[in-house]
Amino acid sequence: MASSTGNSPDGPESTSPAEAPQTPARRGRVRLRRAAVMAVPATAITAGLAILTAQGALGVQFAISGMPFVVTAEELRGEGFAQYGGLDNMAEDSPNAGDTGGQVLVVTSVVDKATLDGLCQSVDLGGTNLLLKAGWGADKVTASHLTTDSTQLSGSGEFGNIEIGNDASTLDKVDQKGPKGVFSQQADTVVIKDLRQENYAATAAVFKLPGLKMSFSESGCP
Amino acid sequence: MPDRAGRPRQGPWTAFRHWRGRRPFWGGLLLALGGAEILLTMKASVKVILHVGMQGLAGYLLPGLMVLLGLLILFNPAQRLFYSITGVLVTLGTWLTSNLGGFFVGLLLGGVGSCLAFGWLPDQESRRERRRRRREARAARQPLEPRTDGPV
Repeated sequence: MASSTGNSPDGPESTSPAEAPQTPARRGRVRLRRAAVMAVPATAITAGLAILTAQGALGVQFAISGMPFVVTAEELRGEGFAQYGGLDNMAEDSPNAGDTGGQVLVVTSVVDKATLDGLCQSVDLGGTNLLLKAGWGADKVTASHLTTDSTQLSGSGEFGNIEIGNDASTLDKVDQKGPKGVFSQQADTVVIKDLRQENYAATAAVFKLPGLKMSFSESGCP
Repeated sequence: MPDRAGRPRQGPWTAFRHWRGRRPFWGGLLLALGGAEILLTMKASVKVILHVGMQGLAGYLLPGLMVLLGLLILFNPAQRLFYSITGVLVTLGTWLTSNLGGFFVGLLLGGVGSCLAFGWLPDQESRRERRRRRREARAARQPLEPRTDGPV
């Protein structure tokens, strides 16, 4: 530090002008060594959580919405499946409302235990897409209590023991019920290939994401 | 900037600067902002949240706590150790409960904020003063070496 002339006491105006000149201005300050006592273990734990999540050992909970987003998967296998119609309400005076009156007609799909192969999820942030990929390797993505409010859903499906036309309030193959007097269908098992959903809201109790990759991309999921 | 001329400064900015100097301002602010960012990514409708039940609620509870702890650090800085330790644990918890900690952004803000609040100490001498004293101490330890920039 012998050559650091900028810090010399006879050149104080070259450093920060924030100090009042007449009083030595004793303020509270962050002592770096003290902050490091917390920062080092916190960083280590964060790295540990990220690694465990990417290995699929740790489940993560998701609940994103407000903006529509796309979910695609090469294959979805599920136990306990139900679907019913519903209305989602936007926040009052939402700029996304347009001429819809702030309401979106959605189909709510519930899968009790889902296994997804080749999952891709993208959110359009305006200009760029936040891309989330998982389960492209040997380990598959698993989710429990997966609930999605979709405006569009496509894929080739196969249902086991399906019941179509129940009242949504009488669903018993999943532990969720819809509103009374609404059309619904439910099945014991479900397999959907080349799944593509445009979702308005989605939640899952627990998502396990082996081989997690997050990135920004010009284009969303295919 | 009248302070450059050596005059005592007046007005709300000075008052704010003094208020800021008495608390871990950036720590509390970053922690609260991190919580707010995570809450923004959690805008799923209440109906859907109720489907999932208690586990869905935790996704809102943790970032809400982050905002609260950040504000408490700002307005009750005496308890900053407890708030910042709780804050960093809650922040780490949002990785599991709330969209990977608001897609990492809120987690980062909250973690940095908690560490800053933890490392903050009141009534410190200014950085320049501390640097000068350290240099003096070093100069005193090596009195034989001729120095050009140390105090004479």
